[in-house]
Amino acid sequence: MTRWAMIADLRRCVGCQTCTAACKHSNATSKGVQWRSVLDVELGAFPDVSRVFVPVGCMHCDDPPCVPVCPSTATRKREDGLVTMDYDLCIGCASCALACPYQARFKVDDPGYAYGGEGKTRNEAQRSDPARVGVAQKCTFCIERIDDGLAQGLTPGVDPAATPACVNSCIADALHFGDLDNPDSNVSQMIRDNETFGMHEELGTSPNIHYIWAAAAEAGRGPTPSSPSHNAVSTGTGAIGGVAPWQQRHWDWRAAGNFIGGGSGTGLLLATIIAVGFELPLMPFGLLGIALVGAGLTCVWFETGRPFRAPLNVLFHPQTSWMSRESIIGLVLFPLALAGAWFDSAPLMLLAALAGLGFLYCQARILRALAGIPAWRVAEIVPLIVATGLSEGLGLFLVVLAILTTPAPTATTLSAVLLLAGLGLRAWAWWRYRQALSGSAPSGTLAEIARLHPGFLGVGHIVPALLLLGALAVPDFATVAAATAGLLAAMAGWALKFVVVIRASYNQGFAIAHSPERGVGGGGLGAKPGWSVVP
Amino acid sequence: MSRGTAQRDRKVPTYCYQCVAGPDFLTVRVEDGVATEVEPNFAAASVHPAAGRVCVKAFGLVQKTYNPHRISNPMKRTNPRKGRHEDPGFVAISWDEALDIIAAKLQAARDQGLTDGSGFPRVAASFGGGGTPTAYMGTFPAFLSAWGPVDFSFGSGQGVKCYHSEHLYGEFWHRAFTVAPDTPLCEYNISFGSNVEASGGVCGVKRHADARVRGMKRVQVEPHLSITGACSAEWVPIKPKTDAAFMMAMIHVALHQRPREALDLQFLKQHTSSPYLLGTHGFYLRDAESRKPLIWDSVSDRAVAFDTAGADPALDGAFRADGVEEGPDGKIWQHTDIPCRSAFATMVEHFKDTTPAWAAQVCDVPAETIGRIAGEYLDHARVGETIEIEGRTLPFRPVAITLGKTVNNGWGGYDCCWARTMLACLVGALEVPGGLLGTTVRINRPASSRQASVRSMRDGFMDYPMNPTDKENWRSRPTTRSAHSTLIPLVGNSPWSQALGPTHMAWMMQAEGNEHLPTPTPPDVWFVYRTNPAISFWDTEAVGAAIDRFPFTVCFAYTPDETNHAADVLLPECTDLESLQLIRIGGTKYVEQYWDYQGFALRQPAVEAASGARDFTWIATQLAKRTGLLEAYNGAINKGAAGVSLKTAAYDVALDPAKEHSVEEIWDAACRAASAELSGGADNQGLEYYREHGYRVAPFPRLDWYLYPEIIDQSLRFEMPYQERLFRIGQELANRLHEKGITWWDTQLSEYAALPRWHDLPSLWEKALTDNFDVDIADYPFWLVTSRSMQYAWGGNVDIQMIKEVAGNVAGHSGVIMNGGRAAELGIHEGDLVEIASPLSATRGHVVLRQGVRPDTLVMIGQFDHWVTPLAKTFQVPSMNKLMPMLLDLTDATGSSADLVKASVKLIERRA
Repeated sequence: MTRWAMIADLRRCVGCQTCTAACKHSNATSKGVQWRSVLDVELGAFPDVSRVFVPVGCMHCDDPPCVPVCPSTATRKREDGLVTMDYDLCIGCASCALACPYQARFKVDDPGYAYGGEGKTRNEAQRSDPARVGVAQKCTFCIERIDDGLAQGLTPGVDPAATPACVNSCIADALHFGDLDNPDSNVSQMIRDNETFGMHEELGTSPNIHYIWAAAAEAGRGPTPSSPSHNAVSTGTGAIGGVAPWQQRHWDWRAAGNFIGGGSGTGLLLATIIAVGFELPLMPFGLLGIALVGAGLTCVWFETGRPFRAPLNVLFHPQTSWMSRESIIGLVLFPLALAGAWFDSAPLMLLAALAGLGFLYCQARILRALAGIPAWRVAEIVPLIVATGLSEGLGLFLVVLAILTTPAPTATTLSAVLLLAGLGLRAWAWWRYRQALSGSAPSGTLAEIARLHPGFLGVGHIVPALLLLGALAVPDFATVAAATAGLLAAMAGWALKFVVVIRASYNQGFAIAHSPERGVGGGGLGAKPGWSVVP
Repeated sequence: MSRGTAQRDRKVPTYCYQCVAGPDFLTVRVEDGVATEVEPNFAAASVHPAAGRVCVKAFGLVQKTYNPHRISNPMKRTNPRKGRHEDPGFVAISWDEALDIIAAKLQAARDQGLTDGSGFPRVAASFGGGGTPTAYMGTFPAFLSAWGPVDFSFGSGQGVKCYHSEHLYGEFWHRAFTVAPDTPLCEYNISFGSNVEASGGVCGVKRHADARVRGMKRVQVEPHLSITGACSAEWVPIKPKTDAAFMMAMIHVALHQRPREALDLQFLKQHTSSPYLLGTHGFYLRDAESRKPLIWDSVSDRAVAFDTAGADPALDGAFRADGVEEGPDGKIWQHTDIPCRSAFATMVEHFKDTTPAWAAQVCDVPAETIGRIAGEYLDHARVGETIEIEGRTLPFRPVAITLGKTVNNGWGGYDCCWARTMLACLVGALEVPGGLLGTTVRINRPASSRQASVRSMRDGFMDYPMNPTDKENWRSRPTTRSAHSTLIPLVGNSPWSQALGPTHMAWMMQAEGNEHLPTPTPPDVWFVYRTNPAISFWDTEAVGAAIDRFPFTVCFAYTPDETNHAADVLLPECTDLESLQLIRIGGTKYVEQYWDYQGFALRQPAVEAASGARDFTWIATQLAKRTGLLEAYNGAINKGAAGVSLKTAAYDVALDPAKEHSVEEIWDAACRAASAELSGGADNQGLEYYREHGYRVAPFPRLDWYLYPEIIDQSLRFEMPYQERLFRIGQELANRLHEKGITWWDTQLSEYAALPRWHDLPSLWEKALTDNFDVDIADYPFWLVTSRSMQYAWGGNVDIQMIKEVAGNVAGHSGVIMNGGRAAELGIHEGDLVEIASPLSATRGHVVLRQGVRPDTLVMIGQFDHWVTPLAKTFQVPSMNKLMPMLLDLTDATGSSADLVKASVKLIERRA
């Protein structure tokens, strides 16, 4: 077997960005896109400061989180370990970019010419690739060079023609490439001779850029590696957002809209079971529910980079992709809900509600699978998303009940009780979610969640709960009070998803487990900028 | 999956010499006639110290070639008014018209005489990048040579942006225009602000990376944590401009706190002037008859001539002896039985008070740190050990001290260069394996060989081409607008000397002449190439004002910029990937280019030239023809003005002087001459060979990295520690200047001290600013310094988007670097817009917060502040250049100053 891997010797790297530039040349990446870049990380506080340069890019992980989340199978892992991209399949949903904890993936919506409005230069006309617009792109370890080189009998990592451009260009000999499964390869030898670490090893991705930070302890020089500890103060400069985690930019309000519409819509479809039980007309509930789901999907469809191929290609990967599964359930959900509402059919509506529950669960799992976003990847986000979907649905149900001309006090009472239970469930899920995040999310995420907390709990739970209790105690005001409570519960859910999807969605950022030895001395502490608590 | 086909996809070997740390090899991938990719030249991996690689700057060349902002036609100015706010009204003209305009101006100047009424050349030229433009200007040097006197003294940054004191004193002491550690063997390097990882080129980066992994310890002493500081084992955040005190304390430790055996006594006794006895007037005590300096021979216990066979020179001790002293202007003092001691002993006494505790107060560095570093330096020196290099046994002293910009120029530059060189001498680490080496010579001749430039003079030292200071030969009437040969004996008078300066004097005198010097005049014709002094010099507003007054300026122009905004004619030359030229490579070159080969490399057109651009050699030929200088021009080429002599005893490929030759004919002849030179006349491969292979080399002996063998072979000594010659020259210069009534250079004359003494340099800067601007210096609490950027330094590449993009990954390229803690005290946050003001001027930029900078220091990387150059004018990144006044008070005796000014910071706008 073959397992291609890269070595980045942090002792040697000077942060010159020659590899960054060589990559841009070799891969003709557009303005602002850097498949390879070198971070400039500062550790410590004056005067005890060190500064480390860290080459980053796609790590071609042994267990790449980007592959299972891809709904179109555009991202795959080859037998030789390379994680590949098929631009013709990709729908530009950016799931892979959000699943990657290394911020290695880019998605641009225009060709990105160097001189912008002045048109493309001759070299851009020669090399720019329209297939890359609107889709995910990333470092390929110069896969064409490897494959062409192997076809010519060359050895990647040894023969320049078969070696990634960044490695070839490195003026400090900091970058090396080779086959880790070959014990005699250059990279295997270097890993034996030196102390190395992978970035974010705690995430279990087994990245294949291996950072050398010191000579092997047994070589008799350099410090004995200890378990990583980190500097309290660390900052840095990087190409796309810095070194510390930053708010992801791939999913905006349109993606949040999908979670809002999908959660409330499917919750409403589930609440429609109450209407079935009380023989209320199903059409208003069913139509509103499916309309919300449809609106959410429309929002997110506008966010895909390749909307015309998205409706089909999104279905290609149900084996592992929760987005594919969500889409497939959506194909069932829509006819069932529409037919149930149109024909006022309780069985069809019950089936639609069941599909809605599946859709809602898929949405929760979509977020959880995106391992690059600490606010999303915790298991506790699943009950939170489901609980808020149910609460939103029940809340909207009460609003619709209040609008309906036919009084249904018993249904209102039951719905109010159920919403009380739903709010309790959501509050419990919120508490667990916050517990899970503390210590496993960057400072920015924690700050956003803390900012949301009082309003979410007060306006979204305590006030509606009091209103609901009032509604149960004073029947004359039950309809209005319950509807108000329902609207608040729903709106709190929307706020939750807006914050979780957009504002608290800081990515993993970058970190090093050890700063490198420079000559004699200097190596040791690591850095994880932007994290107040290092997990 | 492959791109292109063999017919349509080719790789063209060429070179990059965008910075002084080159040249280096590269190849350009050309697909369907379009340059698409820069790669290393893997075929050159075995001969190039950095394995055929180039740095990030070279990758900007593709965008440079196809940059939409390129000037695509010759242009002439239609608005006679010049100034920042004037539209030049450039209109496109034909090459014929452009060349005719220039030729007419040149002819008019020539008709009036080559020099003007003040004695200055009527034609001036400014080139940037530490001499690298000559690797791109084809045969233009041959045209200038044919022309006659040309004033190169309008600086583009040198003096304040270069290693000026090191250039002069380095060449004086050990044929070292620049200085480097013998990095492949060095084990301990103290770097005072030398930023080799940013400005040492690919060879420097590779050598130091190898050294780090091998275990070399480097200590970076610098106010901010630069790229090089980052890559060092230790960072010592010293107060700006106090480096000399640190080194004087190290000398104190070596001389007063360690046993003499810690020093290389053999080296000091035999290979330096340490044992030379001093008379009562501070000059060497000499034998009355031979006039040779005397030493005290411990064997015979008497004073003998320094070169007495079998003598064992004493270093320490007090003696009595007879002899004579030779003072300035032939003054002689006869002595009988006077008390005397050696230069070494005088030095010991001189540094008895410069303790680490004293330096700690000056440098704001703990005394323990200074003492420890001094001790580590001595302990790593391996005094007594030897190493064999190419069969010759040499001392092995793996320690070196390197100096960076602002440390080795301006006031204090002499002190630092002297202290660094002396510290090498104390342990015998000068010009030996592992130690401190020179790179190349620019003031001495021949420029091609440090060894060949070593010629003995009396007193056992190397000769040096000082500008004369004796009454008969002193050049009282300057030949250039910087008055270099009048004021600066050490700068010499080689073709490089004018450009070494004091180049700011040329600019200053455009505004106001100096008393008793000729009336300042602008040049009739000024050529500018690969430089933008309106941005890159200091006090850029004053420089810009002077430029605007020049009557006729010709700029070889790639894009509009702040200097060619005042041009009368713009000429678009073929750029790096479009033109043809052969240059010398290999041997030893600055900064850390130490090769095992030497030879020639070809820069060749990888792609067709942009329409309208012309090869520089073609332009030079046309100018020569139109000014009637074709024969002299061809003659200069034949003599070697294109980098290689076309006719020697071994070969003859000379051009017919009477004919106009094509670009290809000229360079084919140069290629044939290069092949013949490298093969001793056996081969004469021409242009086609170099087009295919890119270069040709022959072995360069490793022994020639070191000057020590040459010193030994010629029985010479390094002229350290006592600067008797400079002491005398300084007094002679004072006499000459005073005879002419010039007293405004008196402060500079004080630098001609035989042994440097600490001057409070931070106070000197503060006083100069206070005196000249009538400000309260307390209002300017920060020291503002700069730092080189590998992405930009010397590149002339601010208009290249890709460079801007990747440079953004390196902290500091987006604004002014400030200490995070200090900023918090001032309520300033990351990204805030601030105004940085010096007593001269103010600029604005966004704050970049770092911990790796002293709280009293601000750093502005690179030189931006553009207002015409496309793309760059949108950066909004500040430059310190407009904040630094050109002041005589801040000018040292070598004619340089340093990138340093006091500044204030004011919050203008919070980050959005």
